Amino acid sequence: MFANHPTLRYIAGRAGWYALTFFVAVAINFWLPRLGDANPVDTLMSKVSGSLDAKSARDKEESYLKEFGLVDLDEQGRIVRDADGVPVRTSILSQFIRYVGMSVRGDFGSSIVQYPRPVADIITTALPWTLALQIPALILGWFIGNSLGALAAYRRGVFDRVLYPMALLVSAIPSFCFGILLVYVFGIQLEWLPTLGGYDDGMNPGLTWAFVQSASQYYVLPFFSIFLLVVGGQAIGMRSMCIYELGTDYVRYAKLLGVRESMIVRYMFRNAMLPQLTGLALTLGGMVGGALIAEMIFSYPGLGLSMLTAIQSLDYPVITGCTLLVTICVLIANFTVDILIGFLDPRIRAAREGGH
Amino acid sequence: MPSDSLCFEANHLSRAFGHGRRRRLAVNDATFTIREREIVSLVGQSGCGKTVLAKMLLRLEKPTSGQLLFRGRPIDAAADPREHWRQVQAVFQDPYAAFNQFFSIRSQLKAAFHLFPQRPSEREMEERVDQALLAVNIRPPDIEGKYPFELSGGQMQRMLLARIFILRPQVLIADEPTSMVDACSRAGILEYLMKLKEELQMTIVFVTHDIGLAYYVSDRIFILHEGQIVEQGTPDAVTQSPTSPVTRQLLDDIPSLHREWIGRAPRA
Amino acid sequence: MTPILEVDRLSLHYRTRFGGRIHAVDDVSFTLQKGEILGIAGESGCGKTTLVSGLMGLLIPPLHRTTGAVRIAGRDILGLTPDEARRTVLGREVSMIPQGALNSLNPTRKVKDLAADVIRSHDERADRSAIHDRLRERFTKIGLDADAVLDAYPVQLPAGTKQRVVIGISTLLNPKIVIADEPSSALDVSTQKAVIRLLFDLLDEGIVSSMIFITHELSLLRHVSSRIAVMYAGQIVELGTTEQVIFDGRQPYTRALMGSMLSAEPGQKARKPVAIEGAPPYLGQELHGCRFAPRCPVAKPDCAGRDQVLREVKNHWVRCHHAE
Ligand SMILES: Nc1ncnc2c1ncn2[C@@H]1O[C@H](COP(=O)(O)OP(=O)(O)OP(=O)(O)O)[C@@H](O)[C@H]1O
Ligand SMILES: Nc1ncnc2c1ncn2[C@@H]1O[C@H](COP(=O)(O)OP(=O)(O)O)[C@@H](O)[C@H]1O
Ligand code: SF4
Ligand SMILES: [Mg+2]
Ligand SMILES: [Mg+2]
Repeated sequence: MFANHPTLRYIAGRAGWYALTFFVAVAINFWLPRLGDANPVDTLMSKVSGSLDAKSARDKEESYLKEFGLVDLDEQGRIVRDADGVPVRTSILSQFIRYVGMSVRGDFGSSIVQYPRPVADIITTALPWTLALQIPALILGWFIGNSLGALAAYRRGVFDRVLYPMALLVSAIPSFCFGILLVYVFGIQLEWLPTLGGYDDGMNPGLTWAFVQSASQYYVLPFFSIFLLVVGGQAIGMRSMCIYELGTDYVRYAKLLGVRESMIVRYMFRNAMLPQLTGLALTLGGMVGGALIAEMIFSYPGLGLSMLTAIQSLDYPVITGCTLLVTICVLIANFTVDILIGFLDPRIRAAREGGH
Repeated sequence: MPSDSLCFEANHLSRAFGHGRRRRLAVNDATFTIREREIVSLVGQSGCGKTVLAKMLLRLEKPTSGQLLFRGRPIDAAADPREHWRQVQAVFQDPYAAFNQFFSIRSQLKAAFHLFPQRPSEREMEERVDQALLAVNIRPPDIEGKYPFELSGGQMQRMLLARIFILRPQVLIADEPTSMVDACSRAGILEYLMKLKEELQMTIVFVTHDIGLAYYVSDRIFILHEGQIVEQGTPDAVTQSPTSPVTRQLLDDIPSLHREWIGRAPRA
Repeated sequence: MTPILEVDRLSLHYRTRFGGRIHAVDDVSFTLQKGEILGIAGESGCGKTTLVSGLMGLLIPPLHRTTGAVRIAGRDILGLTPDEARRTVLGREVSMIPQGALNSLNPTRKVKDLAADVIRSHDERADRSAIHDRLRERFTKIGLDADAVLDAYPVQLPAGTKQRVVIGISTLLNPKIVIADEPSSALDVSTQKAVIRLLFDLLDEGIVSSMIFITHELSLLRHVSSRIAVMYAGQIVELGTTEQVIFDGRQPYTRALMGSMLSAEPGQKARKPVAIEGAPPYLGQELHGCRFAPRCPVAKPDCAGRDQVLREVKNHWVRCHHAE
């Protein structure tokens, strides 16, 4: 039905690719943590077995095995055991199918370390922090970075000579070094701002004035560590794109026809923006990754920190739950940018609709 | 002098682009032969299919239908297209596109030897590069250490020809080799092209929209229009007694010094 | 008759990054009369496009004026501020049809928006529908399918149409002088002819009063211009009527240029074109003596040491002290 509608066909084509990417990402997410030998049931049992007798230990193990879907069940719902009475482990494939089925329902299982807390609960506690930190930092950083880059290219002179080396410096430092640097200077040396956590110890998250005040102090450093990196990277790219645009034949022609400067700036900005958007589609994943690392450095109570603790303790339901969520978000954002470019750039649009 | 053996032989050759309603024949049922050591010009307006036809001769485009023989064998007889490119070389419209901007010109001329199965010794390569440069009237020290952006369009065109001198192909496809250069460099490039032809005994397919230029260089002229060869013959036949209105139009459109061109006197 | 444009001993230079200067236009003088088409011919790199920038009164750095003036109705347009030049000269007094018209349209804007930008830049109060009507009328007049073309993006148009669109946009404000910088060099012969016909029509209809036509094809100028200035290495080396310059050129460079022309006129026996050996001098250095001397087929021993000035020979201007 899309066959005769180029725009729908275009979107469907892109969506197909994203679906494939998504599937591969989910599969990798699932398998990676399971590559090691760690068995969550053994981990949990080692924590509780000391205080239990053999019978209740066996019951406990059975319930864990069922819960994590590691064993086959017979018709009565009992665990299938081999001749020696050892539970028969299900194949990794059927684990995967079960995992996909549950994930689709939004059920990511239970954490191993914080058993029986559901992963979904861990995520919903952490997610608001991450969203509140990353979305403003990434979006604001992107807009401000691009505006500064364009301004530097258009104005040149002193402004450019100061901004450009600074942006280069910021974007050349690896994101974790940059975070540590901020912690060191503003937190430890100057003691201006708190560095670890999301709010003062002993406070209960809620909409109280004291809490908001405390949280906003903790917000500053992680925010700037993400924001400045994005500004630096975007400004450099935008600056060179704009310098290129300003040297093109069509800008010279517009100037020689007496077209107003403000219009020429608009031409430049828009045409330089298109490759910047394409660049965004390519680097979005990396940007989010960098932001998650920033959370880890600042022990910010978001997804990044949840992932860090989960990785340290091999709490793989939490790892896969978090990464799956991040993957979905990045892919959706990427897809949006991708489709947007296709609509904003008439060259791509014309190629699609078979101009000439 | 052209020989009697055939270099290219095309039977009902076509190439289509696009699907469904947008399907268009860029080359439409072309049948022709090109003899060894002959210079044939493909002439026509922009978009008439000259470049597509030239690319098929170069084995860069596949015909959608019809048959194309190179020296009696189907052009794609050998699995490796480089086999074909050792014998058939090309000079394109934009000389800058043919060179990498980041390597010196001399090193890129030397890299031409990579196309050969065996490379000559370092000294022989250097010597042959020098000879090639002299052949296109450039003193080797003049381009020593220079990069493509440091040369003018006309000089770059000559670099392309120098590369041809090194590769010594038996067949050359030249697609508008003079369209990017000014009128006086054009004379020079044509001169070198003729010299190459004499020295290397090449077959040349020359693509141009200027029938005057074609008249000057070729043994035979093919006139293309909307993908079809509408007329072919010797330069004198084609220009003196054109049979196709397309040819007449092309002749009429060249601004010539001694003939009325646009039907009005220059204003004073 | 007072000329519409007067170029008075104009010299322009580019500043290079290392503090040097490239003297791309050197001591150029000429006048343009109302209704006239002046041709400017010369090899690539001889300063034609640089001269255009000067004639427009808009020097975009690193291009700067060394000396001289460009006067329209007695006013030196090179003395204006960029904004004054933009408002009072560009597009109205002088307009240009650029070299490489194919890249001269912003690829992400529809033709109608680009054209509207030009009008609105000079008349802020123009309203949308009036602009649209004006564009439709003008584009129809220059032989385009106005509705389709105005609504297209530049990439969707074939080369010949794009060139027409550029001509249409360049002449929207009925400029007195149009400078066409190699408007047809990238086109095939048939499209070239159509484009030149269009330029003549614009003159006939009074949309444009005078024109400067720049090209490296002398055979084209033969049919287009009434006078020709031949440029070499930043200077005018010969200036006269078309007939004089083409059939009776007195300057050795003009003759060499004619000799390198491919006048393979179908039906006649081809005369072999003779390339001019060597290359023009580098303009970033002080040049002494005749600039053409190293390549001149009739150079005499005293040529290399003697600076050449334009002098009158047989009713036209020649820069060669041996010419007669
Ligand atoms: N890869 C392609 N995909 C679709 N159409 C193509 C492709 N290559 C060429 N065409 C079309 O085929 C036709 C012939 O193109 P070709 O490049 O051969 O023209 P040409 O005669 O060489 O013109 P010019 O003088 O402008 O170089 C044109 O209509 C062109 O748009
Ligand atoms: N932006 C620039 N910076 C320095 N030199 C330049 C620049 N643009 C052109 N030139 C030089 O000025 C001379 C004249 O160039 P141009 O006016 O473009 O020539 P033409 O239009 O006749 O081909 C050439 O030597 C060229 O290399
Ligand atoms: S002055 Fe001498 S070198 Fe220069 S053009 Fe005249 S004859 Fe030739
Ligand atoms: Mg072509
Ligand atoms: Mg130029």
